Amino acid sequence: MNWVNYLKLLLLTSALSVQADPVIEQLKKLGSSDKDVRSVTLQEIANSGDQRMIPVLSDYRMGSLYLYEDNVVLGLDIFTNDDLDEFVPIADLFTREPLLQADGSAYLIPIEEIEIIEPSRKERKSVLEAITLLELSAPDNEQRLEAVRKTGLGDHSPILISKLRNLSESDPKRSIRKAADESSALLLLRFGTPAEQATAIEVLGKVRSVRSRSFLENLDRPDDPAVRKALKRITTKERQISTFNILNSGISSGSILVLMALGLAVTFGMMGIINMAHGEMMMIGAYTTYCMQELFKHTPESPNNIFFIVALPMAFLVSAMFGGLIEWTVVRRLYKRPLESLLATYGVGLILIQTTRLIFGDNRSCNTPTWLQGGVEIAEGMSLSFNRIFIFILCAVCVGGVVALMRYTTLGLKMRAVIQNRDMAASMGINTRMTDSFTFMLGSGLAGVAGYALTTIGGITPDMGQNYIVDSFLVVVTGGVGNLAGVVCSGMGLGLLNKFLEGTLFGAVWAKIIVLIVVIAFIQYKPSGLFAAKGRLADD
Amino acid sequence: MTNVQTGSGYYLGSLAGSSAKQLNKGFLGAILALACLLPMLATAGVISVETVNMAGRYMALAIVALGLDLIWGYTGILSLCQALFFAIGGYAMGIHLAQQGTLHNGIPEALYVVYPYKVGETRGMEVLPWFWAVFKSFNLTLVLGMLLPGLFAGLIGFLGFKSRVKGVYFSILTQALTVAAMMFFSKNEMKLCGTNGLTHFKTIAGYELSDPNVKIALYVVTLLCLVGSYVLCLAITRSRFGRVLLAVRDSETALRFAGYEPFAYKTAIFAFAGMLAGLAGMLYTPQANIMTPSYMEARWSILMVIWVAVGGRGTLCGAVVGALLINLLYSVLTSQWSIGSFDWKPEYWPIVLGLLFIVVVLALPNGVMGVWRKMVGKVTELD
Repeated sequence: MNWVNYLKLLLLTSALSVQADPVIEQLKKLGSSDKDVRSVTLQEIANSGDQRMIPVLSDYRMGSLYLYEDNVVLGLDIFTNDDLDEFVPIADLFTREPLLQADGSAYLIPIEEIEIIEPSRKERKSVLEAITLLELSAPDNEQRLEAVRKTGLGDHSPILISKLRNLSESDPKRSIRKAADESSALLLLRFGTPAEQATAIEVLGKVRSVRSRSFLENLDRPDDPAVRKALKRITTKERQISTFNILNSGISSGSILVLMALGLAVTFGMMGIINMAHGEMMMIGAYTTYCMQELFKHTPESPNNIFFIVALPMAFLVSAMFGGLIEWTVVRRLYKRPLESLLATYGVGLILIQTTRLIFGDNRSCNTPTWLQGGVEIAEGMSLSFNRIFIFILCAVCVGGVVALMRYTTLGLKMRAVIQNRDMAASMGINTRMTDSFTFMLGSGLAGVAGYALTTIGGITPDMGQNYIVDSFLVVVTGGVGNLAGVVCSGMGLGLLNKFLEGTLFGAVWAKIIVLIVVIAFIQYKPSGLFAAKGRLADD
Repeated sequence: MTNVQTGSGYYLGSLAGSSAKQLNKGFLGAILALACLLPMLATAGVISVETVNMAGRYMALAIVALGLDLIWGYTGILSLCQALFFAIGGYAMGIHLAQQGTLHNGIPEALYVVYPYKVGETRGMEVLPWFWAVFKSFNLTLVLGMLLPGLFAGLIGFLGFKSRVKGVYFSILTQALTVAAMMFFSKNEMKLCGTNGLTHFKTIAGYELSDPNVKIALYVVTLLCLVGSYVLCLAITRSRFGRVLLAVRDSETALRFAGYEPFAYKTAIFAFAGMLAGLAGMLYTPQANIMTPSYMEARWSILMVIWVAVGGRGTLCGAVVGALLINLLYSVLTSQWSIGSFDWKPEYWPIVLGLLFIVVVLALPNGVMGVWRKMVGKVTELD
């Protein structure tokens, strides 16, 4: 693109000759002294739908456009020298890059030699309207939708209404047609005649416009059946939105619980070991992700998204390595004493937390890769953010991976054999030591993946694992020990229940307390979890 | 020398003879004498009153350890909610003490600061909650401070043991309960002073809490309670009831086949341990001058278990020794000092504690008492 600029520069510097762009001609007309010419030109620009003109028109409104040597340029901040002479540095209209002279220095034009193009005070409003009209004809669907929604709460004008009507009939996107209906009805409700208001109320009820609730209530006509009907329909819509949001946050918090509990289900459920350092394995996964970010120098300014892809296997491997180390030094000696494994691994957790704190300090944050930022809007007020979708998918993949590993590989076969009957498995020639070691590493690695996922939604602290450890143990206990399907169900169930209680009747704390009580009551009723083992295994 | 005693848990596995018994007694006597000497030293001005106060707090914690040892060391139930019972006792006493302090509109200062006003309520419209009024009387507080944790423990124990929640599951459940309780106590709406906790204590039973003599008196009371609890626990472990507890630990199924109802024994001992923890909380609060929900954090529950583990589970003496030892270590290692060019920082304490957890579990399953016994065994064999 550089040569284009250069060409423009050349044109400008040689003779500042008339450019072929009709836009410039139109802008020049805006500088005309005839009021009618100005208003006609403004309308022409508004109807042209030329998106480049949106910033230019705002510059025009702010009085930053200048006519210089028969060309329209953008004036940057006025520069004053020591003698209080004022100069205008000029820039290209569209790129906003300062224009340079042949010798590479910036143009500085004395303010007397340059003619300003600006609207009169009365015209400023119509300029704003023209900008809105231009935005309404944006070719990009997202931008157009945004603009259509914005107009509903903005100023009123007949041209806007007719444009919105036009959009509601002819726009190719259904969501935009609907939004245009809503916005024009909102405008009419706010500024229209009583007759127009009546139709607007009906339309707003029909499209279930949540935004219009406060305006409808402000009408102060609680007995009007039309208003009441509209409000009722809007309430239904609001319920839908809140249900959606509860489901959304419930599933995503459930996914994290499942990810955490999956690792625990492997170590606790299958080996009978209480690994209180499991939360710290998660913390290590999160810090590994952070280290990868530092290594690949990923910052919000210069994103280097590759770090996030590398971080996934790294988080798994580093956590699994630490898990292996713990298994080898501590846990291995405690297979016969599960209660004491709780104490020893809690000690390991303390050491890991404090060491991390001494190395990294207290609070770190990980910038999510650019492709996980933002989200997709399903309907108005209902949007799914990409990081939550990612966590859900990651969770599903992990569950699938563990199930496949257990079912279809020799290793999984050995693991299942050891779980079912350790002595028998050993006498069949299975190296139970190695199997235990590997199972523990797998569980720790899964916790690391959970930590990796958590970096996309929150900060990283040395004691982040502590917040999850009790919850994940509850998930495993509720789901039934050594039972992957049970873990998935109970994790999702507890996540949803928690968010449901939180979103409807109670605050976050009450929700948590109630969930705990439900779990305790559930264990009363089914001491061995959702899907209890049957037959001989159950007699343990 | 050849007089090998077996039977009760106290001498379990020890090859100690009569001279070993004397050594044990001498050791216990020395500790007790030192404990009795402390207040005298303080009045003589050799040590500061604060040291006595600290010792008093640690002895209160040792009472919790005694209860925990009964349920974990003797009965084999790892409970992680002793901290909760401790806090309930502490809150009972704290609510009583807070009402003896400065009042604003009849509201204790601690509650006044974080009073959860409802919509439309302003300053001056506070109401003293009914459960605060209950704790106005000192005697009633003393009763409730032990009864409430006891009843609560009984309920948890009944529900849990009746449906045969065992081992690790019981630990996790009790831990979860403690976490839930911490959230409950931390909420301002509960009118329990939120995360600030109960503070601004002035007097206890009419005496100024800041008076050194009152502090020493509190210490003496704590010491007496500790000795009393110890004797009571010893009586329990030596009784028939105590033997049933050991049987629960060693083989619950066999006990059930023998016609016993283990859950009744377990519930009873669990409630008793809860009462001991409540007593400890009541003794701790006036000496620490504060009671907050942070005492219900997971680390406290597990710390209490490690006191018993370090001392030696299954020995009452060990529980007391462990609690005192670790708390002493805590106060030394969370202060800043340096030997030569080596600077100790309080930040290293969690690492030391973590190592302690691992070493005790892996290398010293019988704790300090185990080591002591081995030593005594060697010494007496030399005779």
